[in-house]
Amino acid sequence: MANERLRALEEVEKEIAMVLQCAGNIVMELSKDKHNASLLDRQLVQFQSSVNRVESELSGQIRYLTQVATGQPHEGSTYSSRKDCQMALNRAEYAKVKLGELGRTCEVMLEPPPPPLLASQQI
Amino acid sequence: MATQRALPQSKESLLQNYNKRLKDDIRSILDNFTEIIKTAKIEDETQVSRATQAEQDHYEMHVRAANIVRAGESLMKLVSDLKQFLILNDFPSVNDAISLQNQQLRSLQEECDKKLTSLRDEIAIDLYELEEEYYSSSYNQWDSADLPLCEAYRRRDSWASAGSSCSSSQGEQEETEGPPQQEVNTQHHLNGHAGATPIEKP
Repeated sequence: MANERLRALEEVEKEIAMVLQCAGNIVMELSKDKHNASLLDRQLVQFQSSVNRVESELSGQIRYLTQVATGQPHEGSTYSSRKDCQMALNRAEYAKVKLGELGRTCEVMLEPPPPPLLASQQI
Repeated sequence: MATQRALPQSKESLLQNYNKRLKDDIRSILDNFTEIIKTAKIEDETQVSRATQAEQDHYEMHVRAANIVRAGESLMKLVSDLKQFLILNDFPSVNDAISLQNQQLRSLQEECDKKLTSLRDEIAIDLYELEEEYYSSSYNQWDSADLPLCEAYRRRDSWASAGSSCSSSQGEQEETEGPPQQEVNTQHHLNGHAGATPIEKP
């Protein structure tokens, strides 16, 4: 739910950019000697619809916040479950380390012993 | 109490300020754009020369265009402030986000613990065999008071089979050997790697 409202506000930001772009396109088209009437109409319709959408969306968000906002700070947290999860991952990591040690120990025991040195090699 | 009453008023005034900014910026964009379009109209009769009028119109359009851009940027700032206000003060969505995160973390923890438990059960079987192999080999340096797991299981099985046809002497033997078994088992559970350390010093 929170992500939907934040996504809606990001869409509003894109609409604001669209408003400015449409205004610029209209003025640029008017600066030419020959105007493309259909392009002007399309850009104008888009400009007006974008402005209306921006205003209605932001008004709706402000109205929702007026109903929902209190003066108190929120005191919830995910600390306890996060800590429990971290401990579980630490347990798994510890088990992995110990199993690794056990595996290495077994490999060491399974290796053939080195051959004994001859008397000529020892000198 | 006065402080508590002041806080909602500041939130109220903040939201009213947001409304005002929204209305002003939208009004600014629409008015300035309308005026630019009106200024673009070429008039035959002018009070000053055409060059001067053109220069004046040019400057006016620049200023109005800058006003439109300023209003657009002010709207973007307003959206940013609304996002911040939403994150901090939209309690229903904050509660939902917290409960969802808690649920995900708890399920991850349960899955981790379940896999560790199954791993423990599998490893116990292999450890039994490893200890049996180790304690019957020449590297064995175990203390007689510290029974390995395989030996403990073997003794327990032998007691169980002897207990079905128990005599008084065997019962006494069980009683004398029962507590050490429990102590050894607890020792083994408390220090499960007691068998491993001798291996490291052959």
